[in-house]
Amino acid sequence: MERLHEESFSPKFDSIRRWPYNSAIVVNGRSLRDLRALLAQRQLPSGGWAAVSASSQPALEPTALACVTLGREFPSVRDRAIQFLLSIQNANGSWPVFEGDEQEGAWTTALVLLALHDGVEAIPQRLKGFGWLVDSAGQESHWLWRWKFRTADRHVRFDPDKFGWPWIPQTNSWVVPTAFSILALDQLPCACGLDAGSSRIELGVEMLLDRACPSGGWNAGNGVVYGVPLAPHPDDTAIALLALRGRRSQDPLVQMSLDWLERVAPALSAPWSLAWSVLALAAHLRPIDSLTQSLRRLADSDQFEDISTLAVTCLALDYQRSLLELGTVL
Amino acid sequence: MSINRRDLLIGGTAVAAGASVSLPFFEPRYRVVRRPTRSRVAVLHSADYSQNLGEVLFAGLRLFSVDVRGKNVVLKPNLVDYIAGNAINTEPCLVAAAAECFRRLGAKEVAVAEGPGHQRDTQLVLTESGYAPILRDNRIRFVDLNRDELVRVTLEATYTRLKRLWLPRTVVGADFLVSMPKVKTHHWSGVTLSMKNMFGVVPGSRYGWPKNILHWSGIQESILDICATVPIKFVIADAIMAMEGNGPLNGTPRPLGKIVLADDPVAADATCARLMGLEPERVIHIREASKFLGNSSARMIDFAGEAVGSPGEPFKVVPEFEFLRRSAIP
Repeated sequence: MERLHEESFSPKFDSIRRWPYNSAIVVNGRSLRDLRALLAQRQLPSGGWAAVSASSQPALEPTALACVTLGREFPSVRDRAIQFLLSIQNANGSWPVFEGDEQEGAWTTALVLLALHDGVEAIPQRLKGFGWLVDSAGQESHWLWRWKFRTADRHVRFDPDKFGWPWIPQTNSWVVPTAFSILALDQLPCACGLDAGSSRIELGVEMLLDRACPSGGWNAGNGVVYGVPLAPHPDDTAIALLALRGRRSQDPLVQMSLDWLERVAPALSAPWSLAWSVLALAAHLRPIDSLTQSLRRLADSDQFEDISTLAVTCLALDYQRSLLELGTVL
Repeated sequence: MSINRRDLLIGGTAVAAGASVSLPFFEPRYRVVRRPTRSRVAVLHSADYSQNLGEVLFAGLRLFSVDVRGKNVVLKPNLVDYIAGNAINTEPCLVAAAAECFRRLGAKEVAVAEGPGHQRDTQLVLTESGYAPILRDNRIRFVDLNRDELVRVTLEATYTRLKRLWLPRTVVGADFLVSMPKVKTHHWSGVTLSMKNMFGVVPGSRYGWPKNILHWSGIQESILDICATVPIKFVIADAIMAMEGNGPLNGTPRPLGKIVLADDPVAADATCARLMGLEPERVIHIREASKFLGNSSARMIDFAGEAVGSPGEPFKVVPEFEFLRRSAIP
């Protein structure tokens, strides 16, 4: 059945389907399975996925997201993806951004750890990855930079004692890599010997709360620059909220951010932001029915040149299972 | 006083050591010299975006001997984020007009390429900023530089210590790269014009959102390294509605009613700075770039179109850049 879908995929329009995976997903255009098949079809011979469909350069973000969403429905596709991920781990335990990248590691490490979470064969390499992630921190964690940000460089309002994870080493902490890292470290086995994991999670949570926009939500990394409050971004906000689920759900800032996201999400016209919003609001038990309807409409018309967007759309349309995969239990 | 062999040896060693430390400071920090003998700049008048921009622009382009026949032209606008009411981005109708002009001039293909620096959801920025329908209606291909295939490129200048950057294949392979900045003040670099606009070619997927490595490496220095490596062949600057104050996102719209065309990015930026009532030689990257990338001195520029006058009141800047304003000159 799986092979059939991989080889004979063609989008089915105006059809109503039900799939055992999630009976709530009834689509008047492409079904969730069609979207997953489209994703599977775009896998590269190496086992990875490129960032966009026109590219043949395997990248880790789409590969990790595809791995999470394809789950057990496309086992051979997923197995090839996992083998690809395991084959390009850096010597220091991290993962690069794409195949052929430098070896120092990047934000994609957290996503790969999430993608590998249920593979027994991946346990040793995951532990090495967790080790790298626990040691990785924003540059402001260094005492010298903390001192600079506290005394001489005050244009960006933040508390440098509260740091998270950077996109790449030797740069500041930012919201998205911090949120992904919290989600990944949440799955750290308790007996793995990485005692610093829980304190890093706590510090990361503090950092997220510290850098929220004053009226709720998150921009890329800071809430106030040159005295001006920055506008929140839907995707950054949603990803931060996913990481805070079950930790600070009742924090007024989190509630304010959820309210903001709930207000703006119905008007979102791009599947990437809308899909992340569905996942975040579902994780916090906010109503999402109309949002998933909107996402299905967008999914019908979108060409999905961007593979990560396709993968996240699939995740959102099957949010219950996806949140389980991401470690965010409803 | 007699000098023995021992003194001579010690003295000679000291001189050699001193020279080895200090000489690098006197060596050029660039490997290419692209400064033309003379540069050409045209300042066109356009009170607003509703006029016949295509004809204004085409007439302006004919003042230059632009030969794009059979070439792949890449237009790089300034598309950072979207905040309603803020003049952040190069106006999409100007970009569409430029695309049409280059097609009329015989370009093989015209693409618009950008890697937004703050927003991960490029599709959302395209939609909200008004780009999506204009690109679609004019059948202009858009390349998301944040997710394009990457090529490792050795930098042609050493103002930063980066040495190499991963850059998008679309930009590296372009026959004719046109920088289309929005004329704005900038709270970290003083101004953001055609050269600073090139930050957008640095891929977010590799370096994050924002591209924080460039901040850590020095903004002015990074501008110089990138512009030395990725040649800007032409500039079309949107100064119809500019921005002053706390740019690049939260400044105040400031109407100038101008479009600046140039065959030299340094000449373009120096001219734009003058139109803003700022001293170009006081902007570090313009001053430094005038040593090897182009001409900033008005004496080395052949002007066409309108005269380059200062505005009645120089553009407002954040306090750190007050020295750039003409009124600040004794």
